[in-house]
Amino acid sequence: MTSAPPSNDPNRVIASLARDQVNLDLKTVDLCFLAGLYLRADKAALASFEEDVLIDMFEQVCDVVEPGAENPRKRATHAIQRLREQRMLARVDGAGIVRAGDYALTTLAAAVVQYFLTDEALTRESLTLLTGTLSAQLAEVLAAAKKATDTETWKSKVSGPLRVTVSELVSGIERRQRGLDAQQEEVQAEIAKLLQSDWFSAVDRCQLLLDTTTSTLSELNEILLRDTHLFVALLLEIQGLATAAEDRDAEETVQRVIEHVDRIAAWGSARQQAWSEYYQYVHRYLRDVVRLDPDRALSQRLRDQAAAWPTSPFFVLVAHAPSIRLLRALEARVERPPVARPRTEREADPEWVEPENVHADIEALVAQAIDEGASTLAEVSSRVLPKLPESLHYAAAGRVADAVGRLARVHGEHERPWAPVLSRLEVEDWTVDGRDTP
Amino acid sequence: MSATTFHTLEEALGDEHYPEVDLALRRGRHIGRDDGTMYEYLVDAQALLEAFYRRFGCELIQQSDGYFYLLPSGDRLGRRQLSAGEMLVGQTLALLYLDPATLQHGGIIGRESLLQRLSALLGTDVLVRTLDPRRARRGKYDERIAAEAVRTKVGDALRRLADLGFVDVLDDTRLRLRPALMRFAEPVRGLGDRSVALERLVRVGEVVLDDGEQAADEDASLDEEPTP
Repeated sequence: MTSAPPSNDPNRVIASLARDQVNLDLKTVDLCFLAGLYLRADKAALASFEEDVLIDMFEQVCDVVEPGAENPRKRATHAIQRLREQRMLARVDGAGIVRAGDYALTTLAAAVVQYFLTDEALTRESLTLLTGTLSAQLAEVLAAAKKATDTETWKSKVSGPLRVTVSELVSGIERRQRGLDAQQEEVQAEIAKLLQSDWFSAVDRCQLLLDTTTSTLSELNEILLRDTHLFVALLLEIQGLATAAEDRDAEETVQRVIEHVDRIAAWGSARQQAWSEYYQYVHRYLRDVVRLDPDRALSQRLRDQAAAWPTSPFFVLVAHAPSIRLLRALEARVERPPVARPRTEREADPEWVEPENVHADIEALVAQAIDEGASTLAEVSSRVLPKLPESLHYAAAGRVADAVGRLARVHGEHERPWAPVLSRLEVEDWTVDGRDTP
Repeated sequence: MSATTFHTLEEALGDEHYPEVDLALRRGRHIGRDDGTMYEYLVDAQALLEAFYRRFGCELIQQSDGYFYLLPSGDRLGRRQLSAGEMLVGQTLALLYLDPATLQHGGIIGRESLLQRLSALLGTDVLVRTLDPRRARRGKYDERIAAEAVRTKVGDALRRLADLGFVDVLDDTRLRLRPALMRFAEPVRGLGDRSVALERLVRVGEVVLDDGEQAADEDASLDEEPTP
């Protein structure tokens, strides 16, 4: 039961995912199976797979991933069931038990496989291409916005292209930015690995890796700074036209794209800043640690020193000037009176008040509503709540559900639908099937 | 960076950075490149400030690793020796600073990896005896409580090392290592005999071997007994 929030409310989305107990559990063999299907569909332009093809593919994958595994056919059946339960495979033929089914990869499965297959990182070429296309697209949208005279044209020529084409292009840049982030992490790991294995002989290779990534980031950032500035200028012009035409939908769409563009511009400067700090740190390390200790003897000597320190200690000295003391002004000692409060009669006579029996009333009202033929929880709630003070509606809705559960036979679907109650509440609905006989 | 190098001491002391830098140095802080304009101020004013601080009986030292600190050579300016906890934690952090694996995260490590390295280096028993000698003197100790005491002592040492500019405490779990940690490796930086290097460091007032001051320090220590 809840007040109705908007559908993109993160709390609601998270609550709904938690309620449905959404989870993914993919083993290596499952991922390989999905990748095999994805590649076969791509190569042979298949929209779906017959059951035999699935089993055949699983057996091939099994030979590679777990050679010698027993009963691959049975394992294939389990794998298909597992993937269907996780919404990776969907049956698309609708023939039920009449014949073996046709299956297709879901968008979730395709996205998972694409993540592992594609190696899309932002490069100077891909970024220039994407920003060029985006710029041309925005110019077209601007031209259409200048000519648009009615709501329909704004929708089809401005909001639509902004929502689909432009957003896709911006997302494409963002996706490649994430790819480049992953590449940077790999470079960092590679530098650590090179030094770990080759120490002094790895200095030049580390320097090269550092310099290459630095120049790539700097080039990309330049392009992003220049082009995002242009995009925002074009988008602001479109937004100005939308405001003048009083088309709220187009205005909001442009605003969303501007925020998206700002985000990709911010990525550039944030990454360059972070990389610059990392660069300086590694550079100092190479200069002060590696070059000064080409045989890597210092680490071993320091390790020996630390291990032997308890038996042959020494202590580093540091300056230790105390803080300046600010003395308090002299004041005569003041006798503070003990804490007390005035004597008074604190016992008050009890007052007569109206009896409060709302909770008992709820049970009676629920019984009455069920007897009158209310057939769902929402219906019972709608009949009972108006008879109670409005300030109690939210709390009373829970008590109504409790009373219905006790007094009547109720049934709930696995996916309980949300049903409105009065104007401000929603409850997860049950079917109420008459009074329960004690 | 300051626009020009200072020509007179008056100019150097008149700079807006001077009060903050002076207070930090006198409290034992190591000022490195990571401190930005404070470090740049010291580079610019170094020649003038060296003579200035010598009059207070201390040396303004600049190390090639890229940090400054003040080293009292007389009694005019107070000094203190680091505690056993600070020394052990400092040396372990210096080891981690030298480890290429730390490079991957730009010198940022987790507290857990510090404790792991400490434990691997010395063993739990030696750690307890060194960091919590009173508990160890009582004989048999509860392992769980002793481990908790060690963690507390390490936390205290880290806090004080952070005040001194050896490390930055980023949050409850992460630390950024600073080049000043190399002070803990000074006795073994050369290829010569460690005891000769230590003698030289004692002579110039960088380290002491006697832990007489240490015992007094421990008694008035900020370290607290962990709650059992």
